[in-house]
Amino acid sequence: MSEKKTFRITRFDPDRDEAPRTETYEIPVDPDWKVLDALNFIKDEIDGSLSHRWSCRMAVCGSCGMMVDGKPTLTCKKALSEYGSEISVEPLANFPVVRDLVVELDGFMEKFESVKPWIIRAKERAVEEGTHRQSQAELEEFKQFSMCINCMLCYSACPVVANEPEFIGPAAIALGHRYNLDSRDEGAHERNEIFRGEGSVFSCSYANECSEVCPKSVDPAAAVNQAKINAVIDWATGFVVTRGKE
Amino acid sequence: MKHLLLRLEPVIWLLFGGGIMVGTMLMTAWIAVVGLGAPMGLVPADALAFERAHALGSSLIGRIVLAALIALPLWKGAHHTRHVFIDMGGADRDALVAPVLYLLAIAGTVLAIAAVVRL
Amino acid sequence: MARAAHPDAMKPKSPGRTRTAPPMAPGQFPFAGRYRAYTLFDWTGIIYLLLGFVALRVVWALGNGEGAWQSIQGQLENPLYLAFHILSLVSVIFVGVRFFRLFPKAQPPRIGPLKPPPGPVIQAALYAAWVGVAGGLALVLAGGIF
Repeated sequence: MSEKKTFRITRFDPDRDEAPRTETYEIPVDPDWKVLDALNFIKDEIDGSLSHRWSCRMAVCGSCGMMVDGKPTLTCKKALSEYGSEISVEPLANFPVVRDLVVELDGFMEKFESVKPWIIRAKERAVEEGTHRQSQAELEEFKQFSMCINCMLCYSACPVVANEPEFIGPAAIALGHRYNLDSRDEGAHERNEIFRGEGSVFSCSYANECSEVCPKSVDPAAAVNQAKINAVIDWATGFVVTRGKE
Repeated sequence: MKHLLLRLEPVIWLLFGGGIMVGTMLMTAWIAVVGLGAPMGLVPADALAFERAHALGSSLIGRIVLAALIALPLWKGAHHTRHVFIDMGGADRDALVAPVLYLLAIAGTVLAIAAVVRL
Repeated sequence: MARAAHPDAMKPKSPGRTRTAPPMAPGQFPFAGRYRAYTLFDWTGIIYLLLGFVALRVVWALGNGEGAWQSIQGQLENPLYLAFHILSLVSVIFVGVRFFRLFPKAQPPRIGPLKPPPGPVIQAALYAAWVGVAGGLALVLAGGIF
């Protein structure tokens, strides 16, 4: 642990600080460390008051997303060796900050729920009818979009999320789109109405930044823009087909 | 107004898509020849002489191409200019800015059709 | 230095128990890093608007007869118009290249009964159409054919 690196970390204590401030820590680092290891070292050895979220340390739980050198990053996945001797760590952009590196998640949860991310059936299948069967090809159509770990890096990278509070946003639209593509689901029209409503998919102007930062290669930008096409087709179909009352 | 904009969004988005796709392809040629080639003397002088230009423009295909070439870029333009305002932090004024931009595109589209009809 | 995001960005419907610090926009937005290309892509909208209206003026003049047509041809030789058209040509090529790169993955796995071809095929088709349409129209306009 001979090498040293300097961390410029955003601190915010709602009881004491008017606005977020930056604190600097110079610490010895191990060459094998991820960014998260350095944050844990600071909390354990230097300043126990530092607050940050983390859990699995293996890029699955999606809790440790932060802005590292200005870019939305899963801190358990990025090696420290990829950065210079000075590294800035800030809370995820586009989110209200609860404390230090911890952001407010409730707004995200509300958007998430708004797309009805569950299988919708016109009529529930009776137990004796057996399970829903799905072929490998049918699974492949949406599998990529189901790999999201809800780390919210995409929300942090999105210029539309930054400017339009109503926008449903990348991960939630990708999730809704994932159910729309699922052969077992019958709720696509319902979700397409949501996609055309307030927070509309059309707010997206295809910056593609969500996909650039996604640590799981979900490609939410693809999902959002596919959702636009499907929402338009669903809208146009409404002029030709009479739908039952929903 | 916000509600109306949301209802019209699929139509606006289709016209915008047409602008970016077809408008870009047509405009590449228009700019190269009419905007740059002819004024700089890079194309034969008689290519855009009045008689020939009018004959080309007033054919059925000519009218359709010219109308598309004028109108579609206006929709791409209006929609993206709306996004410029939003990018610059103007989302709260979107209900004012967006209608002005789209009305501009509608006016331009009507004039484009008029322009090719009277050729 | 990052600028502030919309004060209501990602704000929950009911506030939490503690005071929060307002959201900041991504540090590089709008003009640095990869955001630059996206922001420029949006800004080309202004050029497209102007471009449409300039083309409208030219076609309108064509409808006004030979005198008006020659007058507008003369105006297009003005260095300001030439500079605008050079900027426009750069813009439409930039828009085409960026959009045709992003277009294939925006196609759903199925559109009704149709299955779109693989991404590289769509992209090749878009470029072929661009070269074909632009090249064909340029040849017609420049007197190469017809």
